[in-house]
Amino acid sequence: MLTIKAALAGTLAGALAATAALAEPKTNMLHQWSEGSDAAAIAKLGEMFTAAGGTWEQTSIAGHTANTLAKLRADVVAGNAPPAVQLKGPEIAEWNETGMTANLDDLANKEGWDKVVAPELLPVMKPTGHWVAAPMNIHRINWIWGSTKAMEQAGIKELPKTWAEFNADCDKAIAVHLICLAHFSQDWTDATTFEVVVYGQSIDLFRKAFVEGDVAAMRSPEMVKAFEQMRLMVSKDMDPGIAGRDYNTATSMIAKGQAVFMIMGDWQIGIFTAAGLKEGADYECAQAPTDWGKPGFILNSDSVVFFKQKDPDYIAGQTLLAHLIMSPKFQTVFNQAKGSIPARLDVDLSNGFNPCQQLSQKTLEASIADGTLVRSMAHNMTVLQKYRGAMLDTITSFVNNPKMTPEEAANAMADAVEAQK
Amino acid sequence: MVDATYDIALDPLARSASLRYAAGRIAIYSFLGFFALIYLLPLFVVVANSFRELPEITRNGLIALPHSFSLKAWPQAWAHYCVAGTCEGIKRNFYNSLIMTIPATIASTLLGAINGYVLSKWRFPGSETLFVCILLGVFMPGQVALLPWAYILGNLRLSDSVYGLILVHVIQGISFTTLFCRNYYVNIPDDLIKAARIDGAGFWRIFAKIILPLSPPILIVTVIWQFTGIWNEFLFGLVFTGGTQQPITAALVALATSQMNAHPYDVASSAVLIGAIPPLLIYLFGGKYFVRGLTQGAIK
Amino acid sequence: MSNALSGIEALRKSAPGRDALSAWTPRLVIAPGAIASLVYVFGFTLWTLYISMSNSTMLPTYRFIGLKPYFDLWSNHRWQIAYGNLFYFSAFYVVLTLAVGLALAIAIDQRVRGEAIWRTIFLYPLAISFVVTGTVWSWLYSPDAGIEYFVRGLGWHDFTFRLTTNRNTAIYAIIATGIWQASGFAMALFLAGLRSVDPDLVKAAQIDGASPARIYRKVILPLIAPIFVAVAVVLLQFAIKTFDLVVALTQGGPGIATTFPANYVYDLMFQRGEMAVGAAAAIMMLLALAVVLAPYALWTGWRSRQAAARG
Repeated sequence: MLTIKAALAGTLAGALAATAALAEPKTNMLHQWSEGSDAAAIAKLGEMFTAAGGTWEQTSIAGHTANTLAKLRADVVAGNAPPAVQLKGPEIAEWNETGMTANLDDLANKEGWDKVVAPELLPVMKPTGHWVAAPMNIHRINWIWGSTKAMEQAGIKELPKTWAEFNADCDKAIAVHLICLAHFSQDWTDATTFEVVVYGQSIDLFRKAFVEGDVAAMRSPEMVKAFEQMRLMVSKDMDPGIAGRDYNTATSMIAKGQAVFMIMGDWQIGIFTAAGLKEGADYECAQAPTDWGKPGFILNSDSVVFFKQKDPDYIAGQTLLAHLIMSPKFQTVFNQAKGSIPARLDVDLSNGFNPCQQLSQKTLEASIADGTLVRSMAHNMTVLQKYRGAMLDTITSFVNNPKMTPEEAANAMADAVEAQK
Repeated sequence: MVDATYDIALDPLARSASLRYAAGRIAIYSFLGFFALIYLLPLFVVVANSFRELPEITRNGLIALPHSFSLKAWPQAWAHYCVAGTCEGIKRNFYNSLIMTIPATIASTLLGAINGYVLSKWRFPGSETLFVCILLGVFMPGQVALLPWAYILGNLRLSDSVYGLILVHVIQGISFTTLFCRNYYVNIPDDLIKAARIDGAGFWRIFAKIILPLSPPILIVTVIWQFTGIWNEFLFGLVFTGGTQQPITAALVALATSQMNAHPYDVASSAVLIGAIPPLLIYLFGGKYFVRGLTQGAIK
Repeated sequence: MSNALSGIEALRKSAPGRDALSAWTPRLVIAPGAIASLVYVFGFTLWTLYISMSNSTMLPTYRFIGLKPYFDLWSNHRWQIAYGNLFYFSAFYVVLTLAVGLALAIAIDQRVRGEAIWRTIFLYPLAISFVVTGTVWSWLYSPDAGIEYFVRGLGWHDFTFRLTTNRNTAIYAIIATGIWQASGFAMALFLAGLRSVDPDLVKAAQIDGASPARIYRKVILPLIAPIFVAVAVVLLQFAIKTFDLVVALTQGGPGIATTFPANYVYDLMFQRGEMAVGAAAAIMMLLALAVVLAPYALWTGWRSRQAAARG
């Protein structure tokens, strides 16, 4: 650890010496962390940037991701591409293809990013073999959260490991008039739950359908089976109020012990913490059910892409910003606030991280070893937005339309994706 | 409509009429009262929640008589809450909106007045067609205009600046302001203009001496319409400003529609109220003139 | 009239230089605003039309590929829902807003006490942005925290009020919220219209023994018919542009049930990187508008010709 720090201090000095002679580093980062703890986390990056001698500016775009992308497109059309943008997944490759993104290879080689970053992130951050994005964190999607109070009331000893156990536990919960699964229906939450179901039933199906976009896999009997499990959960385990509910209310169902389980990514930790709930006392966390008995990990990662600039001040600012984002210090501060874990695998989580986060890091390593790690479709880490959009439309329609059968849903998803090809 | 001022107390016919009158009154007031309740409910909820403590809101739901009272949320929303990238509340966004809305409102109103004056009093071949074409701008959806505007602002070197945003709002506003003013000026008798021309008054003199003094009712309408529209717009405000220049709506969208955060209903409620105060004040004080001016202008 | 005209002609002849200038002044004055408006209306529309027939995806590109984006558009289930929603919403929203506005205006016109207060109560929603309107109403519609929760708390335990949780009723939540926002505007205009009706006409009808209801139907409402049309057109442009309200109220859900064209256009052009198809959807929106506006244009033209004939 010490040697890494020393090495980093050396590179920082080197990077600064190289750039300071030429220019005053400055930046304007476009991102969508516009409120509350997210805004506070990104403000930390700004403080570090300023402390390192840079001039920090940011443009935070509120609301839906589409707003951030609209701003980015408008800036590019105006001939005014931002020096740094929060972008993720296949969008990194798409913008890279336009030839407008800056190459980070020099810095990455100097700091040895290839050795420390989780391998599953490399094809995303290096779409053509060159570094164009700096990963900030790793979120794990396949979590199940349990309300300690409600589990006790329903007589459930531990969080379910398989879907069969999950269904049996839900029967117990319903028998004592509890809601089994706290949910709020939006396209991304419906898709989050569904991809966890698909992954838990068959990794192979997940890879074919959600990573490769294989239409035949979407029509397959396995996919129908996943939709059947989803229908069971929507009709029985969730309550009828899921549509139009907001995130807070769903969380408070766990807090009050009205609902037993929740399936949601690890940003839930930040939300529980903000609501004053404690791991162990109020909630428990575990891997979402799988039927194949190994550690599993659905991964989501936020990252920053740099667009080519003419102004040497901005170019210097990009180098400094990328360096800071990849620093263990930032990765620690940022992720403690967000509930995710560092994108670097060499950061020690024993201090200041939640037990669920520590578990997340262990599982990440184990799932890499077992070959069970996948990237998240629901959180835009696999297929292009147009395919993802088509899948999300189908999944959320299925959740909200009790008349749609699992067979119809599987075919509708395949048709919708096919129509985009 | 029934006139009940005459009163012949002993006449049974009159008594039944006055009973009917009373029943009618009750019906009218209940009808208005019922709708007023529905109309005021959201305002009540927001005002009440801005003074309640967050744990109490979470416990008792959003609609509830306040069991706690706290002024904390207001300074929090104004100056401390982390929103739009900094932890300085919404005050800067509030000032940004004023800086953007006031000039854009004034400029688009003046342009509309001049256009309306020309299109109603100085018609030329094709002026009616021109009016209809300008009018079509009223119907342009903002999503369509986003990228063309970005291109134009980029070439004018106005992207990411409040001046660019003002330009956008002025040009998009011309359609409405021209419509209002033109339809109002049409009702000013042409003879007035002709008489002035015979007296040797020119284009600008007639505008200054005859048209403008008659204009306040319609100018109030356009000012209210433009101010409210520009103040409340959020898509262009987000896309055409950057960094610290974002308008109030950007902060409100962050606070009000946030998905990924534990939701501070108390702070969100105070922020929503602060953000609504300027247009609300304008309606409160200008509402009477708004109604009057609209009927004289826009709808003829 | 003709005297005044010949007077002006005489003036013109006497000072040709100044008159030539003054004849051009209006056109010069209107030119900048008019040109900007025309670029805005036609330039932007033509650009969008071209993009809708290009191979644009991530960013605008200009290779012409014909009508393919339109076929892609109409084969999309979500777009069909969105287009249907637009017509359904517009019809209910415009008609019901007019009805509520008219009812409120007639009630206020009965010489009620505190007229200014009533008027302000019904008018204030117009000052509130769609984002705030949608967000606050979404709180109220929510069964977990809003009206249902409140009424159940009062003791009525099986009270249900859940418009937004059902995909068949969520659109009514949007319609109702839209009416809440705009009916004050309709009320204000109708009220002013009612006040402008010549009292002698009403008196004459009263003397003839007509009931109040009949007087409204046969005398007053026909006189304020133009207001109906004007308000309907203003409401219609709100309806077509419906965007923020849906984003804040239902996010297009449950599922995709309340997607509107403007949301779809935005989603495709900016989120999903399908700019050509998004542009095609925008053109279809403008087309829908033309279908509705053409009769209005014809009607206005007819009315002004009638007026000219009378004058």
